[in-house]
Order: sequence, then structure tokens, then C-alpha cells
Amino acid sequence: MPGVYISFPFCSQKCTYCNFASGVFPAELEARYLRALRAEIADHAWQWAPETLYIGGGTPSNLDPSVLASLPALIPNGPWAEATLEAAPGSIALEKANAWRESGINRVSLGVQSFIEREIRGTGRKHTAQTVAEDVATLRGAGIGSINIDLIAGLAGQTEASWRESLDWIERLAPEHVSVYILEVDENSRLGNEILLGGKRYGASSAPSGDMTADLYEFAVERLAGLGVERYEISNFARPGFESSHNLKYWRFASYVGFGADAHSFDGVMRWQNPESVEQYLRSPRESGTPVNAAEEKFYVGLRLSEGVDLRDGDWAKFEAPIRRFTEEGLLELDGAKLRLTARGVLLSNEVFQEFLL
Amino acid sequence: MDREFIRNFSIIAHIDHGKSTLADRLLEVTGALTQREMMEQVLDSMDLERERGITIKAHAVRLNYKADDGKMYQLNLIDTPGHVDFTYEVSRSLQACEGALLVVDASQGVEAQTLANTYLALHHNLDIIPVINKIDLPAAEPERIREQIETVIGLDASDAVLVSAKQGVGIHETLEAIVNLVPPPRGEVDAPLRALIFDSWFDPYRGVITLLRVVDGTIRLGQKIKLWSNNQVFEVEGVGYQAPKATPLNELSCGEVGYLFANIKTVSDAKIGDTITDAANPAAEPLAGFEEIKPMVFAGLYPVESHEHGLLRDALEKLRLNDSAFNFEPENSVALGFGFRCGFLGLLHLEIVQERLEREFNIDLITTAPSVRYRIKTTAGEVLEIDNPTKFPNPSLIEQIDEPIIDATVITREEYLGGILALLEEKRGVQKKFEHIGAGRVMLLYEMPLNEIVLDFYDRLKSASRGYASLDYHLSGFRVSPMVKLDVLVAGEPVDALTLIVHKEVAHERGKMLVERLRKLIPRQMFEVPIQAAIGNKVIARETISAIRKNVIAKCYGGDISRKRKLLEKQKEGKKRMKRVGRVDIPQEAFLAVLRVGTGDGT
Repeated sequence: MPGVYISFPFCSQKCTYCNFASGVFPAELEARYLRALRAEIADHAWQWAPETLYIGGGTPSNLDPSVLASLPALIPNGPWAEATLEAAPGSIALEKANAWRESGINRVSLGVQSFIEREIRGTGRKHTAQTVAEDVATLRGAGIGSINIDLIAGLAGQTEASWRESLDWIERLAPEHVSVYILEVDENSRLGNEILLGGKRYGASSAPSGDMTADLYEFAVERLAGLGVERYEISNFARPGFESSHNLKYWRFASYVGFGADAHSFDGVMRWQNPESVEQYLRSPRESGTPVNAAEEKFYVGLRLSEGVDLRDGDWAKFEAPIRRFTEEGLLELDGAKLRLTARGVLLSNEVFQEFLL
Repeated sequence: MDREFIRNFSIIAHIDHGKSTLADRLLEVTGALTQREMMEQVLDSMDLERERGITIKAHAVRLNYKADDGKMYQLNLIDTPGHVDFTYEVSRSLQACEGALLVVDASQGVEAQTLANTYLALHHNLDIIPVINKIDLPAAEPERIREQIETVIGLDASDAVLVSAKQGVGIHETLEAIVNLVPPPRGEVDAPLRALIFDSWFDPYRGVITLLRVVDGTIRLGQKIKLWSNNQVFEVEGVGYQAPKATPLNELSCGEVGYLFANIKTVSDAKIGDTITDAANPAAEPLAGFEEIKPMVFAGLYPVESHEHGLLRDALEKLRLNDSAFNFEPENSVALGFGFRCGFLGLLHLEIVQERLEREFNIDLITTAPSVRYRIKTTAGEVLEIDNPTKFPNPSLIEQIDEPIIDATVITREEYLGGILALLEEKRGVQKKFEHIGAGRVMLLYEMPLNEIVLDFYDRLKSASRGYASLDYHLSGFRVSPMVKLDVLVAGEPVDALTLIVHKEVAHERGKMLVERLRKLIPRQMFEVPIQAAIGNKVIARETISAIRKNVIAKCYGGDISRKRKLLEKQKEGKKRMKRVGRVDIPQEAFLAVLRVGTGDGT
């Protein structure tokens, strides 16, 4: 069953680690964007009934609850088995959470990133560990049955001790789902760019090394497993039964349709991408699609899942050489017809995936 | 033309002392070129020449000048290459002249290259007219430079022409000096033809075009000519002169300079310095001074993409059509695959060929460390000439190694002496002369191994002197030296392309530096990679590149698959540009590391 993604790329500040097209835009643009977004959804010819909904950002939780509710209202087949809203901690009052719940939202993903005040300030965010704790309580009170907390490994100022402390908070708050992202050091984020340039802004000089970040990630994998929160995808961890069924669609090649700037769609044959910037999206919402290359995606997308890929479906013969090489090198393992990344292979997955490009 | 009114001259100058500007002025004043044409002319010449401010090929331009005595003169300006690698070509160009302008920068003074070429000109009995250029500069000291020319070169500089080519000052005086001080050509009008080839290049429509100076007799359209060195006979299909546009004539007579084409197929048939004579009525003796040019510096050239091997061969063949001074033969490297061993006149020559291959033929190249040619006497009594380090015989089979030695002249300022003397010392130089030549300048004469020059000497000299040192050298012989072969092993595998021949006493230090540098240049791999330097079986230095810990996209993109793919593709592309040796991906720059291995600072 397919999924729906709605993109709302507006934020109250641009985080230093962010390398998306999200950001702070004039209020006037926001109103125009919402109109265009509603029009795009209204124009969509539904050929199937959505099973999951994901409202991501940006910071859609900043929207007035009634405005926000107008978006799911346009999507057929509610209430959905899973409907996620991305939310910034520190802005969630009970009425707001209740309104979300009433509009069909049953899962909230909190962009916490860190529980350590110094690290949070470094990113440009304003919450504290305490506000996150209050938010979790509020969401539970409103009947949100599934909560995700995002963490980033590799933030400026992060140490083994501070990372442990963030994970202690995970234990305390017991979210059903945790995402652990590794900071992407590239020129598209302010922090990444500063690290590349060897500068000091945004605390870049105190960011842990790549090797250390790898250690932090592995430490988190172990710690979360101890809490019964298992890795089911490279950066996604959940108590059994609480995996994000929307996100799983991406890796299992189910269909999804995306609305809004930089939203992506897949119908099983073609992939589409809406324009990345809000301005371009307002000018012309949809770009042309490209046919999917199922053979290679099966590996570089499918192998991200801990369950691995089943070699019995599809044509894997042409990848025999890399499969043999990486199983010998201990980055991949074969379990019957199931091929998956080993623990070491996860951290070196790009090295593996490259060899599955045609 | 009556020989009385012909003047053949060239210009001797150090880089940046204003040779081209002066030449342009002479062309402009004599009406050979309008200003607009001058721009076009400049644009026509080789990119590399303009960028580097050097002359690689010789040119010959005829200027018609009406002198103050009211008579018309034919002035032939022969522009020569100005670099130590091309000494032989320079000497042939000078042989075609009776006089030379010695252009010296009014603030910089005499440089080693100027000195070397002036001596060469004196050797050919040329009359030399000192020209002090750039007198418009605030730092100009024409009087001191005049003195320096007298003390250093021993020329009378009291009548030196004071010029600012840039501002057009002294151009008329220069032309008058050429007319009055350069003697008209001598030679026998009625003797059998003898003409000197001083340059040649390949033209796709005409075949080889040669520049020549008629020494005796006359060369005519339709004449059957013979090339002395190879006895080949050709029929003259065209003669003429460049002004600078090609102007056809029916003949070139005794004393004149011009071009010729005769359906000659390759430049190696029309060798620089060779004598052209009449096939039916040959001269008794060739002109003096012809030599077969011998490469002195050798390097392996490999395509980064192994499938471009054929392209590289075609490109080398095309370049060779125009440059008979370099040679190449197929070579096979375990690390780099199929490539070519190439011989060059010197490092600049190597760089020129390399850059032309990359620019004009679009081939990504890996160049192995330049080497010189060693003479090795084996215990079996054989003498081998080895220019490829990987072909060095097993040490137990070597009786004696002789390495080529050069006489190097360095001119610099006193304040840079400390660094330069240390450098010459480090490069195993032996001082033969140390002379103050006035104006705070020093001339050093050193005997040193050519091997030490080919790695990083130029760069080091430049940085030790902030660019205020000039170098000239020529081969002076061979010397017995304890040389050893230094191998590099990456992940246990010897990488033949990184092999070096070094003096035994510096082997440890060089090996250590080389592995340190490679550690920084080779990216981390999925496993630990030891890098070792070894002499024979003995490891003398070792560094380790630790295994890469992570390369992962750990982030969720709302179903954005293309972004992931782009990143993976980019990484994969990056690896393609590296050479895989065994299991290790080695970037191009790593192969250049050997070039910098003598540099003390390690960066």
C-alpha cells in the first residue's frame, strides 16, 4: 500500500548542520506556498488509497494547528495506519498536540539532535533536555502512540561522555523509535563547510573526527539494542512493531507520492522530483520523471535495511563479482538467499554500494 | 640581394628581460606589422610559449629597413629558444647569424642563461651589441649594468644602446647599430650550395618546412637538393621568407635566410644543424657543428585510463613530427600498465611535451620520476646504459656505476647565497668557481650529478632565491658513484613506477621522506595499508595508512534516491581517476611525490 509525503520547508531558523533546501523565508511566501501545495494535492488524480502519511520539513509543527489540519484533510482514506508529523521540540502545547491527533496524526518525530545544551546551542536550536521531556509527556497525554527522536552523531563539541548522556535521555524518555544520523560533512551545510575549511565557526574545530563519529554511532547501536530498540535501517532504530512503515516504503520499493518543494515520488516504474527551492516550486511544481533502475537500486537502497535483500527476486548475476568480493572482505554476509551488510559493512556502505552502480 | 645590405642577427636575453617586446618594436618600426597584425601574430604562436614567456621554436623574420645612410637593408631576425634544454638549437640559430643583440634588463643585470648564450655567440664569432632595456623602470641602473657587462662578459659596453622597448625608446638606434655593427654575411656566391638548417616543423599541407641560412651558393625552386647527414635527395617545391607572413620567392641566395619545403616527410629527416647541398654538384665539406641530438632525461608516460594507450601513442607520434629531439618506446609497468619510455633534452622539454599531450590531445597522464642514463659495468664485463630504474640490474651483478655529471653555472644575489650553497651541497655539488661579478651578484660554477637536477632542483633553487637565481648547465662527463635502487612497496606490493635511483648516502633520508609523503597522498582504504621503502630486501622506512572507518550516508531524505546515487557516482568517479595497484587505489599525485622527494620541508 502506498504512502504520501507532504513537504513544508519553512523553519524559524536555519540549523548549522542542515544541508537541505529548508530555511527561513518571508511570511508572505509561506501563504503562497500553502496555496500552491493545496492546489497540487487537490489536482492529484488518486489511483490508490494512501496507507501512510508523512508531513516533513522544514518545521511543519510551527504551522497554526488549523492550517496544518487543512493538509491531511485533502488526503483520502483517513485515518491512516501511520501519519507522522515532524516537530521541533519546545513548541508543543497540549491543545496543539490534541489538534494534531484530531487531524489524524498518530506519530510525531522530534528533531532533538542532542540533549546536551552546549551542543544544541551550537546548532542554532533553542530547546533543552527538559523541554524535550515535557514535549514527550504532552504528546503521550494527547494520545500520540508512537514517538521518534532524532539524534546526530558528529555535532560540534560532542564527546563520548556527552553522547552517553544523550543516550541516557533516550533511555529515560523511552521513545518507540530513534533515528541516529551521522553528520554529513559537505559544503552544503554551514557546519560541514566550516569543518572542510578547517575553520572555527559553529564550533567546527571541536567537532569529533570522522573516526570518532564512527565510534559514537557504533556505541549508539549497541546501547539502543540494549534498550530493545533495534536497528532496522542504517540510521533507523525501533522497538519491534514500531518501525516507520512510511519510511520502509522507500527502501522496499513501495509507491509513494510527494507534494511540495523538493518532494519525491515513485510509482513503481518512474521517479519524480519536485523543484528543490520554494521559488521554483511556486513557478512550476513538477519536474519530469526518470525511469527507475530497479537492478541497481535493489542493492544500494535495499541493502540499507537490516533485513537485507533477497537475491532470489531480480537479476543479481551481474553483481556476482562485488557480492563475492565484499562477502570475502566481511562487509556483506549471505544468509541463505538473503544478502545483508555486516556491522562493519554498514559504516562502509558507500564503498559497497558504489560497486552496485551500473 | 647584394650581400652588403644583408644583416643576420639574433637576440640573446634572459626570460622577462624584454626580448619579445623589443622584437615586436623592431617589426612595428620597420613596417613588417601593423599594431593590429601584431596582436594576431602573437595569438598565432603556441599557447605554451606565451604563457611561460619563453620561445620554444625558432622563428626567422625579415625586416626591410631604410637606414640613415639612405640605403635599404634586409635585416633577418632569428629568434632563438631561450632555455638550457635547447642549447644545441640555440647554437645552430646563432651559427646562422653574424651578430646578436645582447638584451639585459636595466635593473636585473646579467643572468646565467644570458651569459651562457653570449659565450655561445662569441664562440661562433658573432659581433655582439649590448642593449640595456627597461631604462624607463624606476629601479633601472644602466651605468651599473654597463659595468657589469664589461666585467662579467668582457664586452665593451661603452656604446650599449639604451632602450625602453615598452615605450619605444632607442628602437631607431638599435636598428642603426645592427646596420653599422653587424658585418654583412660572407660566403661564396659561386660555390656549390651549402645551407644550414636551424629549425624545422611539420606542416600538414607542405610536409616539413625548414628554416635555413644559405651560406654558399643559391637555392632555387625545382632544384634537387641533398641532406648531408642521410644522403636523401628532395626537389625544392617552395622557398621564401617570413615577413612575418610567408612570402614566396624563386630563390634564396648566399647570405640570405628563409624557409624551404621539399616534400620532406618527417622532421627527423631535416635535422637541425644539418647541411643542405646540391644533389648534382655537392659541396666538398658539410658545415661544421652538426650533432645528433641525444636525450638526457627519461621518464615513463602512462595514460590514467588504460584504454587511452592507443591515443597516447598516436599523440606521441604526432608530436614527434614536430620535435625530433624526443624519442619514445613502449614500456610496461606492473603498476601503471602500458605506457611509453620517453627521452627528453631536459626537464622543461619534458614538461612541454607533457603539457601538450594533456592540452592538445586531452589525455590524462601519469609521469614517472625523471631519470638520467647510467652506465653500468656488470661483473660479466658488459656495459649497459640504463635509463629506467626498474631495469637496474641486481646489485650483485654490478661492478661499477657511472652517472652523468654536469657543469652548472648559477648566478644569484649575495643575499641568497646561504640557501643556494646549502642546496648545491645537498645535491652533491662540488664547487669549482665562486666569483663576485659586481652589483651584489655572485656567479657559482659547480660540478654536480645530472640526477640531482632532474628531480626538484629548479623549484628548490627558485624558492631558495625567491626567483633571483638563474641556472645554466651542460654535460661534462661521467663519474663513478655508489648508486642504489630504492623500491617502494604499497601494501606489500612493489610499485615499479615509484622506483628511484639514488646515491647510497641519501637513500635512507629520501626513502623516509617518500613514504611520509605517500602516506599523506594515498587516501585511506578499507584496510590498513603499509608503505615501505626498501633497498633490495631491506626495508629502510615504513609508514602505515590506517583503514577507513566510515563512508556512509546515514540520513533519511524523504524518499530522495537520486541524491544518494549522485553521491555514490561522484565517489566512484573519483576512484576511477586513481590507479589501482594490487588492492590499493593510488591517486595521480602520489606518482609525482617522487619528484618532490628531495624537498626538505616535506609538504
